[in-house]
Amino acid sequence: MNLILQSKVVNFWAQPFNSQWLWTGVIGGLLFGILIFLGLMFMPAQFRRPVVAFSTFIGGAYWVLLYIFPAPIDMQKTELATGPVESVGKFLTDANPVVVSVSGTVTAFMLGLGIFSLLSIHLKRITRRQKDWAFSVVLLAALASMAFFGYADYISRQGPDGTKLDLQANWGFVNYGRDLLFDGLLQQMDAAMFSVIAFYILSAAYRAFRVRSVEATILLSTALLVMLSLMGAVAFVWNDAVRNMANGNDFLMNFQLTEIAGWIRRTFETSSLRGIAFGVGIGALAMGLRIWLSLERTGGGA
Amino acid sequence: MLIADAVGQQYRETGWFGVLFTAILVTFLLVNIQRAKMGKNLYIRRIAGLNAIDEAIGRATEMGRPVLMVPGLSDNVNAIAVQAINIFAYVSRLAARFANPILLCCYNAAVFTLAQEVIRDVYQEEGLLDRYDPDSVRFISDRQFAFAAGVSGLILREQTAATFFLGEFYAEALIFAETANSIGAIQVASSTEATQTPFFIAACDYVLIGDEFYAASAYLTRQPVLVGSLVGQDWSKLLVIALILVGTIFNTITVQGKTTQSWDDKEGAYKTIPERQNDPKQSFIQQLATPFLPKMEVDRPKDPDAEATTK
Repeated sequence: MNLILQSKVVNFWAQPFNSQWLWTGVIGGLLFGILIFLGLMFMPAQFRRPVVAFSTFIGGAYWVLLYIFPAPIDMQKTELATGPVESVGKFLTDANPVVVSVSGTVTAFMLGLGIFSLLSIHLKRITRRQKDWAFSVVLLAALASMAFFGYADYISRQGPDGTKLDLQANWGFVNYGRDLLFDGLLQQMDAAMFSVIAFYILSAAYRAFRVRSVEATILLSTALLVMLSLMGAVAFVWNDAVRNMANGNDFLMNFQLTEIAGWIRRTFETSSLRGIAFGVGIGALAMGLRIWLSLERTGGGA
Repeated sequence: MLIADAVGQQYRETGWFGVLFTAILVTFLLVNIQRAKMGKNLYIRRIAGLNAIDEAIGRATEMGRPVLMVPGLSDNVNAIAVQAINIFAYVSRLAARFANPILLCCYNAAVFTLAQEVIRDVYQEEGLLDRYDPDSVRFISDRQFAFAAGVSGLILREQTAATFFLGEFYAEALIFAETANSIGAIQVASSTEATQTPFFIAACDYVLIGDEFYAASAYLTRQPVLVGSLVGQDWSKLLVIALILVGTIFNTITVQGKTTQSWDDKEGAYKTIPERQNDPKQSFIQQLATPFLPKMEVDRPKDPDAEATTK
């Protein structure tokens, strides 16, 4: 209860429910969005680029500021900022859920475009009776039924009586329908696809480990050592044999299977993965910077 | 309170070093982009996987079968998805010139929208808009294994001659690669997820490892901005290597050293302790990157309105 009450604390980004400021913000935001949308539609193409670049810069600038601008230290919702630096820091931190919601809203609109693409392709296939058109019928039927039963189930679980549906005895048609489609079919098919990977790993490993070159031989022997080290019985017998032969010699103890495998993983695997991670991280930074400053021209000419 | 104004919450764990280091990397990138724009001839090493793109499209054209592209499983339009689409724009441009059909399968609706716009623009720029099929860029599903099943089905039904898997891939990577391998398609792949790269190496013909993925558009298009950025990335990597070397030296010195005194909070003085090795966490480089400052209480006035609502 306390948390709910705390959420009523006034800040620029979270105005109280039904307040004048909230409605002004909602209507203002809607009008601003429509204006931008119409503006971009009717704007000559050469002017669109600066508008998009400016919007991208503002959008990116928020995240850059959030990263570098000092955030208030251990600040509670009931406390006031002590100076201009803290005020700006609080403003930026408070804006975070709003900015994330805006991204979510835009993505939700784009999902509609994705569904339009699916409908367009598969309806065309059905009407033209193209090859395998029956599969398209199944896909569209699955899409419609999953959306219907999923939403109906969600609605039935809202309100004070919703918790009753935690018991299967209280389920209705839509709840059984959702259970059959989601848990009974979709989850099982997901699991089936995932399990197929085991067989693909086998066939890929067979090709990768064929002794064709020096590199492939090194790969094969290294992988074999690491795999054997994970087999309890093999590792136990190998380590025991080495311990007996080493007779307390520290250097020879390094030849225990688990020691060799550990050395391979610590020395080669970890360092290689970190090297790749550094490269990928720096690449992502460069890409992000180019997009933020609109230096990148997507789909650049060849 | 002045300290609270000057030091933010985020700096209490990482110090100023993270921001300073990022600023240096950004400077490297911008300086090199400027150098490239000014006409400086910058060298990029040969990347076999990228040379294979032309070969793959040529093969698809000869066979008269489509080229399939997947820009990974990014949850939204991020740097990785944009980079993948940039590479696919190049692939589509070549495919358009040779009147080769393409298929671009998307996992995310936002990526789908971007890809559709970019690919259509590519055909328009080439003056071949009549060859553009709006259904060639498809949204398949935003569920991982449903997407995997959908793309695998397309590969098998369309008998694609060349496949490009570039972007964020997870467990489904091997399903794609092995399915394409089973029909003899030439494959160029790259995953920014290090855990999936070995699967691609095992199953694909050419693999872009790590940051080669980000080098691709610079390598293919030779745009000065991209080439400069790539050289900036190389400078940044050199700085990281230097930092690793310095860190190794400082950590080694610290670990090899011994401690004989320890600070006693109660007495407010150092007291003699039995000799022990230094804690690696006390090394200069560790303190520089993660100082972990102690918890700080800040005395702030209370908001009377907020106080009223919480009572």
